[in-house]
Amino acid sequence: MKPAPHIYALTNSSLLLDASHLDATDRLSIQKKIWALTSHCKCTDEFTDLVPAMNSLTLYLKSGKHLNKWLQVLPSLWNDIKTSTFKGQHHLIETIYKGEDINYVARYHNLSADEVINIHIKTKYHVLFLGFQPGFAYLHGLDEQLHTPRRDEPRIKVPKGSVAIGAEQTGIYPADTPGGWHIIGHTDTALFDSTSEQPCLIQPGDTLEFVPLVNKGATHD
Amino acid sequence: MIKVLKSGVLLTIQDFGRDGYRHLGVSKAGSLDPFAQIIANRLLNNNDNDAVLEITVGLCELEFTCDTVIALHGADLQATLDGQAIYPGWTYTVKNKQVLSFATGRAGLRAYLAVKGGIQNTQVMGSKSTDLNACFGGIEGRALATGDEIPITPYYGEFIKVGAIAPAQRKLIRLHPSPHANLLGEPLLNNFVSTAFKVSSNSNRMGVRLEHKNNLVHSHSLPSLGVSPGSIQLPPSGEPIVLLNDGQTTGGYPLLGTVIEADLHQFAQFRPLDTVEFKYVTFEEAAKAKQKLDGHLHQFSLALKNNL
Repeated sequence: MKPAPHIYALTNSSLLLDASHLDATDRLSIQKKIWALTSHCKCTDEFTDLVPAMNSLTLYLKSGKHLNKWLQVLPSLWNDIKTSTFKGQHHLIETIYKGEDINYVARYHNLSADEVINIHIKTKYHVLFLGFQPGFAYLHGLDEQLHTPRRDEPRIKVPKGSVAIGAEQTGIYPADTPGGWHIIGHTDTALFDSTSEQPCLIQPGDTLEFVPLVNKGATHD
Repeated sequence: MIKVLKSGVLLTIQDFGRDGYRHLGVSKAGSLDPFAQIIANRLLNNNDNDAVLEITVGLCELEFTCDTVIALHGADLQATLDGQAIYPGWTYTVKNKQVLSFATGRAGLRAYLAVKGGIQNTQVMGSKSTDLNACFGGIEGRALATGDEIPITPYYGEFIKVGAIAPAQRKLIRLHPSPHANLLGEPLLNNFVSTAFKVSSNSNRMGVRLEHKNNLVHSHSLPSLGVSPGSIQLPPSGEPIVLLNDGQTTGGYPLLGTVIEADLHQFAQFRPLDTVEFKYVTFEEAAKAKQKLDGHLHQFSLALKNNL
């Protein structure tokens, strides 16, 4: 028998599919299934919201009368869903690697700033899910060589567009916020614009790469 | 227009909030007491989702620069119109230059002010609600301040004075079971439902924090999962947080359960030091409670139709 995710009714009109207990050697393959399932459910037009998170999917129904149906069909959908049917978009995030903490991160790992940049840009990151603030993407794939404990003293304001590293993660701040991650660069790419038809550039399941911008007079001495 | 002479503690424009953007990290926002919003709007023959003012604690002063009709609901924050007392659950005609002032209340925390035709600010992402954290919606995405002008449409017609009675407050909140019941264990959950919690002064539109002397500490950490208004998170400190409309969309704390839809609006009115207790109910009981609330609203609408 194939291992099955746990499925719970959270309320009369919401469900949780939890796959975090599945013994997968590659967490990303489970996440890909979740994105494919999200995309499938979206097409049914029976949900107000579908929120993929870390190895889970929360489903908010428009009407409670479909709750039992979904409790029953989700397990078989999970078994049948093909991850290859889901295609995310790929984004290139132009980054000026001149963040306040890039030299700290380099020293911490006994690397040069150039080496930090080269390691950071070589990865194709997967957007696992969004949360924390509008447009903030949780990325998968930061090279272990750059894992850096968070700052002892969080900054009161991490500026909008900061590219930063916190422990095993890297991310981009869509708006000013307090935060304890190390700022290694900055991007002018708009990640969230509430007035735009598509308010968020990045969607769950997308991929992205950081592209260094060096011709704007940026150096990282 | 309504001109803000004094903004009080927290004055915001809200409607039912935003759906469809939670996967992008966008919170629901919207009235914490949608039930009060609905009644205030129906008293004026408005649409249920017309934008209203959410007045927290009170202590604000508003001047009307045109004629209109208003209705208040939610907490009684001792409002006066040009010095004359006015009451929640009733409609009042307002003339140009009249001033509506709020003192504060002995019970309840938030009052809802509806105006004939609704507040006319611009919709952002499908809602007129203020998202205080992400700073959009409402007026410039912030709480209203002295000098702000809130757009409304004048109304010069006659309006019959009608009233609605507010349903009683509950202190025993009904919950859907937790998806993490096995993880947290029966002793902790028993402890949870036998505790009388105090509402912390550290509560806001993101969530109500609950203080107590029992032991609910734990050391579980989870991968982040989707959370919504009504989700009760239990951080390792053991002090539960009931997420409200401005709460984040994903979180990594175990859940104690989810407040049933019919009871969630009660959290709009809890004040620091109020006591709250919880009880798990079945899905059938939760559905019945929702039907009862809908039935109440339906009867209220029928009664209004016969009066107007």
